[in-house]
Formats: sequence, structure tokens, C-alpha cells
Amino acid sequence: MDFEWSVIWQALPELLKGARLTVLIALAGLAGGLMIGFAAGLARAYGNAVLNAIALAYIELIRGTPIIVQVMFIYFALPILANVRIYPLAAAIMAIIVNAGAYIAEIVRGSFLSVHRGLREAGLALGLPLWKVLLYIIGPLAFRRMIPALGNQFIVSLKDTSLFIVIGVGELTRQGQEIMAANFRAVEIWSAVAMFYLIMTGALTLILRMTEKRMRIL
Amino acid sequence: MSIVEFKKVTKRFGQVTILDQVDLSIEAGEKVVLIGPSGSGKSTLLRCINALEEINGGDLVVDGISVKAGGRMVRMIRQEAGMVFQQFNLFPQMTALENVAFGPRRVRGESHQDARKQALDMLAKVGLADRAHHYPSELSGGQQQRVAIARALAVKPKLMLFDEPTSALDPELRHEVLRVMQALAEEGMSMIVVTHEMAFAREVGTRLIFMEGGKIAVDGEPRELLANPRNPRLKEFLQHVI
Ligand SMILES: Nc1ncnc2c1ncn2[C@@H]1O[C@H](COP(=O)(O)OP(=O)(O)OP(=O)(O)O)[C@@H](O)[C@H]1O
Ligand SMILES: [Mg+2]
Repeated sequence: MDFEWSVIWQALPELLKGARLTVLIALAGLAGGLMIGFAAGLARAYGNAVLNAIALAYIELIRGTPIIVQVMFIYFALPILANVRIYPLAAAIMAIIVNAGAYIAEIVRGSFLSVHRGLREAGLALGLPLWKVLLYIIGPLAFRRMIPALGNQFIVSLKDTSLFIVIGVGELTRQGQEIMAANFRAVEIWSAVAMFYLIMTGALTLILRMTEKRMRIL
Repeated sequence: MSIVEFKKVTKRFGQVTILDQVDLSIEAGEKVVLIGPSGSGKSTLLRCINALEEINGGDLVVDGISVKAGGRMVRMIRQEAGMVFQQFNLFPQMTALENVAFGPRRVRGESHQDARKQALDMLAKVGLADRAHHYPSELSGGQQQRVAIARALAVKPKLMLFDEPTSALDPELRHEVLRVMQALAEEGMSMIVVTHEMAFAREVGTRLIFMEGGKIAVDGEPRELLANPRNPRLKEFLQHVI
């Protein structure tokens, strides 16, 4: 068979649209996931028994179920349970938020607790409240240690957006699927889709490498 | 009024009693040297004073504030009682100057400028003005510990707690730390020092306390006790450390 570059050229606008949506879902989802992840991770590491139990339940619930079930639940079951309308894009972003949040929580907890205990005591002994010790002393150290694991999670989440094909979000994979259904050029289209993912994950990796390089791990 | 007052203080870890109804009062200006076998509760006693450990019984009043008063009050105590750790515990992402300026800036809430100026003064005081911009990893153990002392002093405490400040140091680096501590004592700082440095106890200490099994076994004048330890276990202990 011969590889028709023109097929890719023609599909490019649609694929770009899909890639944009993929990036949007990943960015919005990861921003939310970072917030939830920090909250849940800190609750696990430093919270009282109640906060700890809530965070643990959340993490185990998410880690114990597939993301595709999570998004199906948000899109199809939540509207029935809560009597609200949920758009596919919103469901997709929510799914990334709750899913990435759980994994990020474990990353956050681990890296905060990996910082030598004596530093926390030294901060407290100066007369600071715990939150300031975490913010000014432990946080900056923990953050450096988090970067590789966070980067990993970012890449996983970015790729996970392709699963939202099941709820009809027009992200990259869905766009590829639709174009392919019309022109039957599987080789060209899926090659192009794969390239798009590679470019996105590659850019992410590069940014993380640079951030990591600028920060010494202490 | 005493600066530190233990009233029947009990501290347990689980089922094990570490401090057993300790009564002790320390006046402002005293230089108390705390000795005793490993596990006798010296660190725990020190850490109860600035509420790094919570007490389980009795009461402990530091500069008029009970360690049981909680939250903000405990933070007041910690600002009055600076602590120096065996492992220095400097903040590795900050230079010496930033470590020392940290207290004035974040605890006392002073301006960036003022905090830096005070930090420089403190570093000069411990003889490290020329190392201000070095990171802890670029300093020797003795220098790190002097920065740690400066960091504690920068918060302007009334009392200093030292937990084996020279134990992690090579013998030839110990004296530079001890000299700083001695200078501090001569300025009139109240201090409680856990140490095995008997020369320091003799020359700087105004009071020697020997702990054993969570109790204060001997409490007296350092020169006398070191020259003539009547308590047989103190006598045996001294034979081992000297
Ligand atoms: N966080 C803790 N949990 C449980 N047990 C502890 C804890 N901290 C200290 N202990 C125990 O309390 C006892 C007294 O410890 P402490 O550190 O006060 O002794 P110390 O006199 O300072 O000894 P050393 O000379 O070895 O430093 C020890 O038996 C120790 O194992
Ligand atoms: Mg100790």
C-alpha cells in the first residue's frame, strides 16, 4: 500500500481541533487534579483522623476503579443521581480531575513525608505554625522531589483523555476515529494521531526536564 | 519567677514512662548541663520544654506560659526557647544568611531588609560573616552548627536549649561550637545543655543535673559534683564519659 500524505493534509484541521481539545481537557483536569491532589495528600500526611480517613477513602476509591468507569459514572450516572445536566467536555475534565487528583495525592504525601523530620521540628521550634513550616520549608523541598513523579502522572493523564471517546468528546482520538470512518485511511490517520500525542507528551517531558534541571534536589 | 518550671511532669511513649513525675525549676540566667545514660530521657525533657513533645501529666510552665495552653501560646514558648539540634537541621535550600534571616522574617514578621541585617549581625557573632552566602552543604559540621545557633538566636529567645550540639561533630570541630556557646553564656543567656563535654560543664555550667530512668537523680554544683560524685551511678557514668 502507499502512504498518502495528502490524506493527512486534509485531515489536519480536524486533528488540530481535536488536539486542542485534548490539551484543554488535560490542562484543566490537571490544574484541578493538582489542587485536589495537594489537599488530599496533605490531609493524608498531616490531617487529623477524620480528614485522613476522607482522603484515604477517596484515593482508594479512585485507584481501585478504571478511569473509563469513572467517566461513565460521571457522565451517565451522576446526572440521574444529582439531577443535573453534564456536558461531555465537563464530564471529561471532571474525570481527569478526580482521577489525577488521587494519584497526585499519593505523590504529594510521599514527597512531603520524605523530607527529613528534623526540618519540620526545626521550623516548629522557631515558633512557626505548621502550615507556614509546610509552605516555606518542607513544601519547596518536597516540590523538587515531586517533579519526576508528577511529570509521569501528567503524561498518563494526557493520554487518558483518549478514553473519553466513549462519551463522545471530540478530542484527538475521537477526531481520528471519525475521519477514519469517512475515508478508511487507517494507516495515515492513526499515524498522524500518534504523532500528535508524541508531540504533546514530548513537549511536556521537555518542560519537566528543564524545570528539574533548574532545581537541585536537596 | 522561674523561667522553666516542671511540676510533676510525666511523659510516656505508649506504655513506657520516659519522664516520671519530674519536678525542676530553672531560674533566668542559669546554665544547666544535663547528663545521663542513653535513654534516660534527656532529649525528651528538653523537647517537652518547647512542646515538641506533649506531656502526659503534671504541668510545665515556660516563661509564665503553660505548655498545655495550646496553639498560639505554644508558639510563644517556642519563640522564647530557641533550640539547637544534634543534627543541625539547617534548611538545605537556603543559604546560611537565609537560614538565619528566616526567623526574624517569618516568625517575627520583620521586613526583608531588617531580617537580613539582623541575620548578618548574628552570623558575625558566631564568626561566620564570610560564609553568609554558602549553602549548608558547603559548610563544615562545626560551621553548620554555628549557623544553627545563629538561626535560633535571631528569633531573640530568652532561653536556649541545646541537645548534644557537638555529638555529631569530629572532635577537632567541637571547640568552635563550644566557644560560641560559652560566649553566649557569658552574655547571660539562660541555657539548658545536654552534652557529654564535661569540661564545658565544669567551666560554663552553673548547675549539673544527672538523669537516670526518667528521674533527676543528682542536681548540684558542677565543679563539686565532678570532683566528688557521691552518687555511685553518677560516679560510674563519669568514669565512662571522661
Ligand atoms: N518518639 C518516640 N517514640 C517512642 N519512644 C521514644 C520516642 N522518643 C524517645 N523514645 C524513647 O524514650 C526514651 C528516652 O529517650 P531520650 O531521647 O529522651 O533519651 P536520651 O537521654 O536523650 O538518650 P540519648 O543520650 O541516647 O540521646 C528512650 O528509651 C527512647 O527509645
Ligand atoms: Mg538524646
